[in-house]
Amino acid sequence: MAPSVITKIREKLRPKGDRNALKIRRRRKLTGMLWRSLPIIILVLLFVGHLWLLLIPLPLLGQKTYIDENALQPGQVNTYFNWEDVHHADQYLAELERLRDQNATSEEISGYLVGEFEKMGLPAASQRYLFSTASSHASGSNSYALLSSPRASGTEAVVISASWLSRTGEGNGTLNLRGVASVLSLASFLKGHSLWAKDLIFVISDGYLEGMQAWISAYHGAEQSNLFAEPLRLSSGVIWTALNIDYPGHSFSHLGVFFEGLNGRLPNQDLINSFQLISRFTGGVPVFVYDHSDSRELPVWLPGVLEHVNGINEYAYRAKNILRHVGYQARGKASGVHGLLHQFRIDAITLFAVPAAGPHGFHAFGRVMESTLRTTNNLLERLHASFFFYLLVGTETFLKIGSYLPSAIIIGIAMLFTGLNEWVTAGSIWTPEQLGEKATDAAAPSGQGQWTRRRRPVLPALAVIIATHLAGILTFFTITRPFFLSYQTASSLAMFAFAYTVPVISSRTIDTGRDEVAPLATVLKAFNLCIASVVTSGISILNFSLAAVLAVALGFPLCYSSKSSRSAARIIRYTFYSLLAFGWLFVPEQVRQAVADWELLGVWFAPFVCIVYVPLMLQGAVVTLLAQ
Amino acid sequence: MRLVKIIYLLGLCFYQLASAATEEQFDEELTLRPLRDGKLAARFSLTTLLKGSTPRSPESLGLDDASQHYTLFPLALGQILREYAVTEMHLTLNAGKWNYEGWGYPEEAGVGTGGELWAWMGDSGTVTVDERWKGLRNALAGLFCASLGALDEQRTTSPALTFRPEGHLPNGTASHQLRHATLPSEHVCTENLTPFLKLLPCKSLSGIASLLNPHRLFDADWHGLGVHVRYRSGMGVEVRLAFQAVFDPVRYSTERRRDWSFHSVFGRVVRMACPVARSSLVRVRLPESSYALAPVPTNVVGDYAVYDVTNTSQPLDVELRWPEEHAFQYPLGSDLMPLTPLSIRRSLKGSSQYTAQLAIELKNNLPVEIQTSYLETMPWLLQFELHTLKLHSNAVPRDDLVEIVTYTPSVPHARPSLLQAVLTLPPKATLQLTMDVMKPFLRYTEHPPDAQRGWDLPPAVFLPFSFGEGNYSVAHTHDDRDTGAHRAGDREPQGLAPHAQAPVEARAQRMYTPVLLVDLATPDFSMPYNVIIMSCTLVALIFGSVLNLLTRKLVIVRVGDAKTQ
Repeated sequence: MAPSVITKIREKLRPKGDRNALKIRRRRKLTGMLWRSLPIIILVLLFVGHLWLLLIPLPLLGQKTYIDENALQPGQVNTYFNWEDVHHADQYLAELERLRDQNATSEEISGYLVGEFEKMGLPAASQRYLFSTASSHASGSNSYALLSSPRASGTEAVVISASWLSRTGEGNGTLNLRGVASVLSLASFLKGHSLWAKDLIFVISDGYLEGMQAWISAYHGAEQSNLFAEPLRLSSGVIWTALNIDYPGHSFSHLGVFFEGLNGRLPNQDLINSFQLISRFTGGVPVFVYDHSDSRELPVWLPGVLEHVNGINEYAYRAKNILRHVGYQARGKASGVHGLLHQFRIDAITLFAVPAAGPHGFHAFGRVMESTLRTTNNLLERLHASFFFYLLVGTETFLKIGSYLPSAIIIGIAMLFTGLNEWVTAGSIWTPEQLGEKATDAAAPSGQGQWTRRRRPVLPALAVIIATHLAGILTFFTITRPFFLSYQTASSLAMFAFAYTVPVISSRTIDTGRDEVAPLATVLKAFNLCIASVVTSGISILNFSLAAVLAVALGFPLCYSSKSSRSAARIIRYTFYSLLAFGWLFVPEQVRQAVADWELLGVWFAPFVCIVYVPLMLQGAVVTLLAQ
Repeated sequence: MRLVKIIYLLGLCFYQLASAATEEQFDEELTLRPLRDGKLAARFSLTTLLKGSTPRSPESLGLDDASQHYTLFPLALGQILREYAVTEMHLTLNAGKWNYEGWGYPEEAGVGTGGELWAWMGDSGTVTVDERWKGLRNALAGLFCASLGALDEQRTTSPALTFRPEGHLPNGTASHQLRHATLPSEHVCTENLTPFLKLLPCKSLSGIASLLNPHRLFDADWHGLGVHVRYRSGMGVEVRLAFQAVFDPVRYSTERRRDWSFHSVFGRVVRMACPVARSSLVRVRLPESSYALAPVPTNVVGDYAVYDVTNTSQPLDVELRWPEEHAFQYPLGSDLMPLTPLSIRRSLKGSSQYTAQLAIELKNNLPVEIQTSYLETMPWLLQFELHTLKLHSNAVPRDDLVEIVTYTPSVPHARPSLLQAVLTLPPKATLQLTMDVMKPFLRYTEHPPDAQRGWDLPPAVFLPFSFGEGNYSVAHTHDDRDTGAHRAGDREPQGLAPHAQAPVEARAQRMYTPVLLVDLATPDFSMPYNVIIMSCTLVALIFGSVLNLLTRKLVIVRVGDAKTQ
């Protein structure tokens, strides 16, 4: 009995016959199975990718932050910033408030600041700048001072900065007077010590971001065509780290840390972790990521029952942080003045004093700054040990790149599979058999007929792709013109109407529907998806947030962008895709912001959307138009 | 009996000391100069002269050297000088960035950050100059506990335009050659000062040198030590040990006053004189505003109060106070004139890993035309693209103002580049000199095993030598440097005034720019393992597939349908 079962199993596993033929047959069978289940695989991949994105804030994921660079030794020093220095800060603040009340000009303010620095015995200078963009002109005057450290060769420097406008409201007019006063009192305090191994540069930049942009590009000799910036009279060595102070309120309860830089760059995590440790243990000030509280309260629109589910509050808190992070990183925006420095390989963060009724003020801030500066002063080399790619989901918790990157990549893979599927489908067509010949292909579906090869119209597809990208460039050109920004609503509408109708008209001229040539829609979709996949995966290494947003925006729409026989449905689909491609035109404030960021700071978001995202979506729209 | 013996021995010692003093003489001098930013510049100059001796002739290097007997002259150094037949040698080890505009010319010209060694040596067939240079720097490295051994061929040049001999070269048959090298990353600290003090006849036990208190010196804003050996024709070989420091009395004072005394600055006072010193002087530059100087100086020569410590019987603690001043008021930048004829800034611009731009801004502070030599000795870590050298004056191209005298391009992994040029600065003009540079890619063994902070690049050296036809008389520092005794006051015409309205001093003295730090493309050194693993995997995969294809027998297989068989 038993031997016969074994023989049966053996026969099943190793059937008789030519082994090589069996192998090939097996392989064919497997390929056929995969091929047939490909639509399901793609769907599964898409779902897994999106689910992964949703699971990133799970409390189960992530690990505790730690200090990786041994030299940092955060919080190991005695701090000497005392009430006398607080008194100085108060005096500076009174003067600054007087200047504010007098509506002093930028020149007057920088004159005052330079004078104060010089009274401390620090060489100081001011720098005037003028930005001219399509929509506006911004001018101002930065002040900066250089503390050449005793015995140091002046080859390395640390920047301590404060912008005149606070990041509250992204520079809408909230003044950062206490931040500026802190920098002044720190400057006079720090000069009294001989232990600095690096030069300290104190920068008080005018405006919100533009002042620092003018200063830092002049420091590095980077030229910008729309910026006139006076050359700097004082210079020091290579800037390694920078701390930016933002203290808009009267007192603060927590210190918030902002770290996102231009174009999604992040500073080394060691800097954030050191500051976080020092603030908690030296300064006694709890730390927030950003400026929202970590009360772990659920949004009001969620049912109250959820509050009792274990871990859901933590999930909501983490999700909030991640959304905030994605909001900055995907748009390439700097979350504070520090963000402008990352482009020059400077690790920088903003310390934001979250306005509150108390209990902390200049004293705690000064001590935290002093100790953090001592920590950065310890560095023998640039910060390099810790992470540059991370998701900071809480003050002490972060996700490594390996635990979040696959989400976007999996969606990219799904797009790639769909694209390749389309390409293969376009290459052959099933012709039903008329002559009654025997089917030869085992993999063929049931029924009489055979697969015949057909030509794939590569050149027309490429022409459409190039045309859409040209349209993207044209879009970008248009939205950066002054006339567009001055008549934004009207020109947005006109542009949308134009972009909506041109493909409809031009698609009429395309003739498809011969059997020996594959439909243009299929080939176009194949190319479109392959490009989208490559773009998403490539971007994910540089800027995960942008890649994730891109994956979500492109994933489902592009994978299922075809097939509608009824013209009404087709028009609805086409409208949907057009809205996805050009819907952003109807958020004028965001457009204006993105264009200004591009012109002032070189943020890639606006050109990326116009030249990469819009064309990809337009191709999807054209596919829906062309599909029979 | 024993007492008699001791007395006899003591007498013998004194006799020997007395006789030695005729052949070797030791002079010490301390110059203190209050600076306008509240700081205090101090310069110790400790000179030993070996009378009647000449540097060893390089021809005699193959032969046994005549035995040397020194009493005051430092033996450890003397042996090195004889061994390598060094005619003139200058070693400086400095920490900090000299602020020319605010502090004026330093008393010691060599203020480049880090280590600098240059020597003039006679040429001979027996042992080449390069071999002796190698021996010299290794011997000095051992003597001063400094990494001077790293001053190898990749850093050695011969910039004879800027580094002229400060003494005389013996009229031997041998022609002399210069070797110069800098090590900007060298840090100077106690381990260098201790061997330095050991070269002194009284160490730091008595005399002015007793003020050399490492705890205070190395807390100064700027400090540096120098060893200068030169041959003075008709007098002998002179070894001058110099220590220069810039203190910040305002930082030490709780009330932020700039008053200072020996005790507050050095933490010590001069308790007794060095018995073998021929002269021992403390010179204090007198400020223009009202001051109180205690104790009463021995003598006042020009702007300097002079204290003679040679025969001091009680401890000397010089104290300078500004009684009418409460907290020190820093002078404001707008009414400050730079104290040197040139203001120089040098920086490395650009943030790419492949190219950068070397930018120098030169400002002529005088109403007359200045000609200055310009020296760059650059390790091959930065390669000049000389054709991109541009000179602008107020945004107008003025390439006519630069004249390149010599240029030796660098050889990667072997030789530094040397650029010597003469720049002409129109009156009160600001020149911008820019040159594109390339950052090379290092072999991975060329990265030092230490922390990777970047590469320190040596300072550029400027030597302004011609100051128009105006009243700006040019004084050459090489010739007027003399022993301390007859120095007081001979610098008076060009002396530095500590106040803002002081005339700019025009003097042909070397000016060093601050050093630079360059970031070269650096691998992550934990990466080699990843790279090894990755490349091994790839090679294995490729090898496997190729082998498979090569050894596989290709046959036709009839697949058919499973059921049909």
